[in-house]
Amino acid sequence: MASAASSEGTGVAVGWPRWVSLIALAPVFVGLYVRVLSAPSPGGFVPAQAAARAASLAEPFYGEQLLPNNTTRSVHSAAAAEISGGRLRAFWYGGSREGAADVAIYTSVHSPLDGTWSPERIVISREFAQRHLQRYVRKLGNPVVGRDRSGRLCLFFVSVSLGGWAGSAVNLTVSEDEGETWSPPRRLIASPFFNISTLVKGAPLRFSDGTMGLPVYHELLGKFGELLRLDAEGHAIRKTRLSWGQSSLQPVIVPRSEKEAVGFMRHAGDPPNRILIVRTADGGVHWSPTAKTVLPNPNAAIGSVLLADGPLLLAFNNAEENREDLSLALSTDFGKTWRIAHRFEGVSGSPGAPVPEYSYPWIMQDQAGDVHLLYTWGRTRIKHVRFNRAWLESRR
Amino acid sequence: MSANAIFGLSGCGLLSLAVVATLIRLQRLPVRVRLAVILAAALAVFVPLGDLSAAAYVRGVTGDVSMTTLVLAGAACLAQLTGRTLIGQRDLRALCWLLMLAAALLYPFALGWTQFDPYALGYGSIEFLTSLLLITLAACWARLYVIVFIFVAAALAYLAGAYESRNLWDYLIDPLVSVYALFCLGVGLRRRHPVLAHR
Repeated sequence: MASAASSEGTGVAVGWPRWVSLIALAPVFVGLYVRVLSAPSPGGFVPAQAAARAASLAEPFYGEQLLPNNTTRSVHSAAAAEISGGRLRAFWYGGSREGAADVAIYTSVHSPLDGTWSPERIVISREFAQRHLQRYVRKLGNPVVGRDRSGRLCLFFVSVSLGGWAGSAVNLTVSEDEGETWSPPRRLIASPFFNISTLVKGAPLRFSDGTMGLPVYHELLGKFGELLRLDAEGHAIRKTRLSWGQSSLQPVIVPRSEKEAVGFMRHAGDPPNRILIVRTADGGVHWSPTAKTVLPNPNAAIGSVLLADGPLLLAFNNAEENREDLSLALSTDFGKTWRIAHRFEGVSGSPGAPVPEYSYPWIMQDQAGDVHLLYTWGRTRIKHVRFNRAWLESRR
Repeated sequence: MSANAIFGLSGCGLLSLAVVATLIRLQRLPVRVRLAVILAAALAVFVPLGDLSAAAYVRGVTGDVSMTTLVLAGAACLAQLTGRTLIGQRDLRALCWLLMLAAALLYPFALGWTQFDPYALGYGSIEFLTSLLLITLAACWARLYVIVFIFVAAALAYLAGAYESRNLWDYLIDPLVSVYALFCLGVGLRRRHPVLAHR
C-alpha cells in the first residue's frame, strides 16, 4: 500500500476546500450523536422465572443417564435448554478429537414422558458454518444456548479460523421451532484484535430492556471475562468487563434480582486454586474486583443456577489439581458460604469413565422445578443427572 | 449472502488486490497489461472455489478490515493502475501517527491489561464521539483531508451497519493498518535520520 502516497508530498485530496469537508462532517456527526443519545439506557437483569411447580413432588427423585453417542469418539462441553412439552434439548461438540476438522455441534432431545434421549444429530458442521459465515473455519468449539425476548432459541458456538482456542470467535444461530431448524450462523464481533479470542461457556441471560446478556471470555495474552449485551438481531451493542489480567475465564452469571447478580469464573492463575467470584449491584454496569471463594478449582469450568425461591447451586470439580471429582455445592446466602451437597463423580468404588475426567458442567432448572446437570463424562459421553427439590432437601 | 458478508468480502478482496498490485509493482507494466492483471487477480480473489473465495479465506484470518484500510488499499490499487497518487506524504504521515496513537490506546487495554476497556467506548460514548469530532475538526483545519475523508467514510459505514460490528472502532482501525502505519513511520524515520539505519 506504500505506493498510495506520492513522494512529492502532495496528493489530489489536498485541493479540497475546507468548507466541503465541514459540510460533509456536519450531518455525519449529527447522525453519530443522534445514534448515541437516542440509545436506551441499559436495563437490569431478568432473573429466571419462578418454576411453576417448584418443589411440587413430595418424593425425592434422582436419576442419571448417558446421552447417546453413536457418532464420535470425543465429546465435550454440553449445554441445554428446556423446550416445549417440558422436554430438554442438549447441545455439545463432538468429533474424532477436540480441535479436529470433523468436530460438529450435536443435539439430542430428552423426553420427560419416557425419560429417554433421542439419537444425536448434527446442528452445525464446520462446512455449514464457513459457508454461511463466508469465512474459512478450521474447527468448532463450545456451544451455549438461551432464549431471547421473543422466545427463540439462540445457539452460540465457538469457531476458530487460525491457531488454537485463543483464536476463537463466537457465532450465533437462531431457531424459531424449538431447535428443529436453524438460521444461517452469523459472527459476533467482540474484540478489535482481528475479532479473535472470544469464547463462551456460561449460559446467556436476559435484560429488562429486551437485550440478551452473553458471558464471554478472552484467552489471547490475557485471560479475562466480559459480559456482552446483544440486540434483537444478535449484534453486540455494549459490553462490560468482569475481570482483567491473566487468570480468570469462563464466567457464569446468576442474577438474583434486577440489580443484583453474582458471577463465578474459572481460575487459571497462581495457587491457591479457587473458584473466582464477582458481584454487581447495579444490573451489571459495574462489577466488584474478582475474589477467591473457598471452593477449589483445578483450572476447570463451573456451572451455577439459582433455584426458584431457593438456594444457589454450583457444580464444580472439587479438587485443585484434576477433574476426577465433580460435586454440587449449595449456598443459602447467595454465594457467601457454601456446603457440599453431593458428589456426582469421584466416589471410590463407583464405576467410572475410561478417562477419569468429569468436567464442563451445565446446570439449570426446568419449569417443573427439576434440576438438570449435564457434563462431559470421560470425554466420550455427555452425562445427564436429574433431581428434584425434595431430593436436594434430603441432602441437607 | 448477507449485505454484511458482501461488504466484508469486498473489503478483504480489495485489500488482497492492493497487496498483489503493490508486490508485483503493477505500475511498471503497460496500461492494458495492468488492467488485465488486476482483472485476473479480481477473479482469483472473488470467484469461489467450492464454498469459499480467496477473499473468504483472507476474511477468516483478518476479519472485516476497517475503512482506513479500505481507503489506503483503494488508493494503492488506483496508484498502481493509473500511476496517479491520491494520498500525499503529509496526509499519510499524519494518518500514520494518528493510527499509532489509537492503536497504542486501544489494543493493550482491549487485550485485558486493565479493567478499563477503550473498545467498549466504540459502542456509543459521547466522550469518544466528541474526541473524534475534535480530531476531525483539527484535521480539517490542518487541511489533512484524507483523515477527514476516512472519518466520514467510517462514520457512514458505521451508521449504515455495513459490517457485522456495531462498534465504531472496527470501522476506524484494525491491526493490519496499525502495523502498516508503524512500518511507514519507521521507513520515514530512517529516511529523515539516516544514522538510525546504520545502528
